[in-house]
Amino acid sequence: MLEYIRQWLTQRRGNRIGEHDTDNLPTPKSASDQLLSRARVIVLDLETTGLNPAKDEVIAIGAVAIEGGAIHLKDQFDLILRRPELDIRETVLIHGIGPEALTQGHETEDALLHLLEWMNGDPILAYHSAFDQKFLEKTLKKQLGYTLPHLWMDVAELMPAFFPKAPLKGKGLDDWADFFGLEVSERHHAAADALVTAELTLIAMNKARKQNVKTVKDLTEKLHYQRRLQSMHRY
Amino acid sequence: MAAANEDATRPQNTRAIMSFLREHAPFSSMDDTHLAHFAEHATLRFYADGDEVLSPNDGVVKRFFVVKQGRIRGERHNEKEDRAETTFEISQGECFPLAALIGERPTRTIHRAAGDTFCLSIEQKAFITLFSESEPYRDFCLRGVSSLLDQVNQRIQSRAMASIGSSNSLDTPLERYALRNPIVCTPDLPVRKAIARMHENNVGSIVITDDQRHPTGIFTLRDLRTLVAQDKSSLETPIRLVMTTNPCRLPSSAHAFEAAMLMAEHHFAHLCVVDDEGRLIGMVSERDLFSLQRVDLVNLARTIGTATHLRTLVSLRSDVSRLVDAMLAHGADSGQVVKIITTLNDVTVRRVLELNLQKHDPGIPFTWLTFGSEGRQEQTLLTDQDNGILFETPEGMTEDQVREKLLPFARKVNDELAECGFTLCKGNIMASNPKLCLSHQEWDDWFVRFIDASTPQNLVYSSIFLDMRAVFGSMEPLHHLQESVLQRIQKNALFQKMLAGNALQRKPPLTMFRNFRYLNDEKKHSLDLKRQGLAPFVESIRVLALAHGIEAANTLERIDALARKDVFDAKDANAWKEAYSLIQAIRMRAHQEMLDKGEELTNYIDPDDLNPLDRRILRESFRQAQRLQQKLEVTYQL
Repeated sequence: MLEYIRQWLTQRRGNRIGEHDTDNLPTPKSASDQLLSRARVIVLDLETTGLNPAKDEVIAIGAVAIEGGAIHLKDQFDLILRRPELDIRETVLIHGIGPEALTQGHETEDALLHLLEWMNGDPILAYHSAFDQKFLEKTLKKQLGYTLPHLWMDVAELMPAFFPKAPLKGKGLDDWADFFGLEVSERHHAAADALVTAELTLIAMNKARKQNVKTVKDLTEKLHYQRRLQSMHRY
Repeated sequence: MAAANEDATRPQNTRAIMSFLREHAPFSSMDDTHLAHFAEHATLRFYADGDEVLSPNDGVVKRFFVVKQGRIRGERHNEKEDRAETTFEISQGECFPLAALIGERPTRTIHRAAGDTFCLSIEQKAFITLFSESEPYRDFCLRGVSSLLDQVNQRIQSRAMASIGSSNSLDTPLERYALRNPIVCTPDLPVRKAIARMHENNVGSIVITDDQRHPTGIFTLRDLRTLVAQDKSSLETPIRLVMTTNPCRLPSSAHAFEAAMLMAEHHFAHLCVVDDEGRLIGMVSERDLFSLQRVDLVNLARTIGTATHLRTLVSLRSDVSRLVDAMLAHGADSGQVVKIITTLNDVTVRRVLELNLQKHDPGIPFTWLTFGSEGRQEQTLLTDQDNGILFETPEGMTEDQVREKLLPFARKVNDELAECGFTLCKGNIMASNPKLCLSHQEWDDWFVRFIDASTPQNLVYSSIFLDMRAVFGSMEPLHHLQESVLQRIQKNALFQKMLAGNALQRKPPLTMFRNFRYLNDEKKHSLDLKRQGLAPFVESIRVLALAHGIEAANTLERIDALARKDVFDAKDANAWKEAYSLIQAIRMRAHQEMLDKGEELTNYIDPDDLNPLDRRILRESFRQAQRLQQKLEVTYQL
């Protein structure tokens, strides 16, 4: 990981920020017939200054990639953004990122460009993905003017789709983690949360394979069906 | 950069995996940079309950796994019962598959998830990097394999236990047991005299026989109790009136099991064993059947050491064999067992010498030397004589005159030892050979020629004459001889190099592909555990021991001494001791089995007869022999 960043920084040395042509950034991939057992998907978690996408900001990005059915620790993303101007008093207690860490963070544009390149347009999974999606899309648009939509999937939908009978206490990430006995190394650390989300994704993908859900497209359809089923129950 | 700072710059998940690893051996003793290398190169995979993680069909193993959460079980197919059986379980923080990864081969066991399981794994490249850079990691990977040795030892024990335990031993015909010499009397003997005879012989029963030695009755201490309690008959009564008539008897071909059943049924503690004509040939007691393993080493040694006749010594040899069974069953390791065999052999040799000295003392002080495996105290049941005499020439006598007196004596001793089961040496390396019955000066000259003018041919004898020990007589003369021999060898680099070259002649029986290399076409599928398995250890260790002035002849002691002198790394020394002991243990177990089947003892085994774990460990032991030979190659630039 460090090696990767180092290489990347070396490559970018001399390229001033802003010279990056957004057209050269990877194009998001759509739900394809690519096999889940081969595909690369991103599992991402953001830490923000608050819950309101309209006024709060992203301060940390953690993500791991699942490829070929495994999490490769070489292939991960763990950055705190340099946003000293942000007011983080409200959330500092939750995620533990203090003003000092923020000033030492990476330049936002740099980090976001790096993220886009690293994600390579692959589908993104997150727990309660709507939240992360709104924040990330807002930030990408604001900072880079990047508006291409990635394919997002919600792990909070994925889990009940494959484990409908799991007796959970609640619907949170912690509930699923507890159910499978997963340990979160540091809760509310973007990268640690991303890893535990990715572990849940591995469990779901294992089950998917056995239920003949084989491609990325199969998976999105399964989630779509799940959503319809849920809304039917609601009425 | 300080370690803490460095750690802080690592991604959270890398740090998390590092701290997980730190909780488990061998990672707990690895450097942070190596742990980071592991964590950064790791992949995390999930396996649902029952999923295959690794299978023999996957080909050569390319990954090193650590269980992060859950469990893995090893599954082998039991062909006999046509079902899968679990051979091992691997839980959180444990690693697999070490032997296959190091052996660069497919795993032989299906590894399956037991419950939902996450495994971290690294690819071969990262594994090799860590293996070569991190000492604790390397040690674990090598030791982890050798820790399996314990399992094998347990298995050897349980096997031996079965051979003397309830089921197997009771399949043995009674004639294989050392039958008690029965105390007998005629039917008309007064009870008082019969009891006196029992008392004299310290037995609990007496058999009453007719003229043809047919048992007609038995009288036991229990009968005596009844007799006294009832107070009906006087002690002058002829025994036939108070004995239990028609005692239980079994032919010697009957199995111990039948005897045990009969005893259990009738509450007898003793049974008469008779020949085909119904004549009494011995007694067998309940204790004999159920407590075979209670052969007592001290008692046995004392019995051998005080035997007054050669034939007693001959008959005690079967007790030695039984003791070996019992020792293996009770968890003695092969090193202990061979030493005990050697001890008992020594006692026998001494007793044979003493008995002969009593009869015709040649009148010359001498030291009885043993060479080769007996010299190394590494004898098993299959042993031949390698001995010699070191004498002091009395004043006024020539060495040849001394030999004239000593050689006939030595001849007799060699022959009698042969009767006791020490096969005559085919190469005539025996004290009765005039070339091996020498004075101190002659031996010294002999070794000068051996060391300073060595030829490839006489190097063959190095395995015999460079492992010597005194068994009888004064130890001092041999000690002096050894000192000058060691000094001479230490000074002679060429001789050392020749010895080393000679030690490399015998390669462990592994092919390039880490399969067993069989002896030759004639002996297809058989390995010679002594020549191919043990010899590479014994010979390599000998060269290094002699080169470092170590006087001990025993291979394990030599390894210890070499480790103390820092010639060997302590962990290497242990791995070699374990590997050597394991081959020895498998060899001894094979001997016991051959003995059970009444076959002639050989050192050949067919690895296909071994169970898979033994095979795997045997292969690993041979691999250790290769490592040792490599060390020799490097040391002597061969």
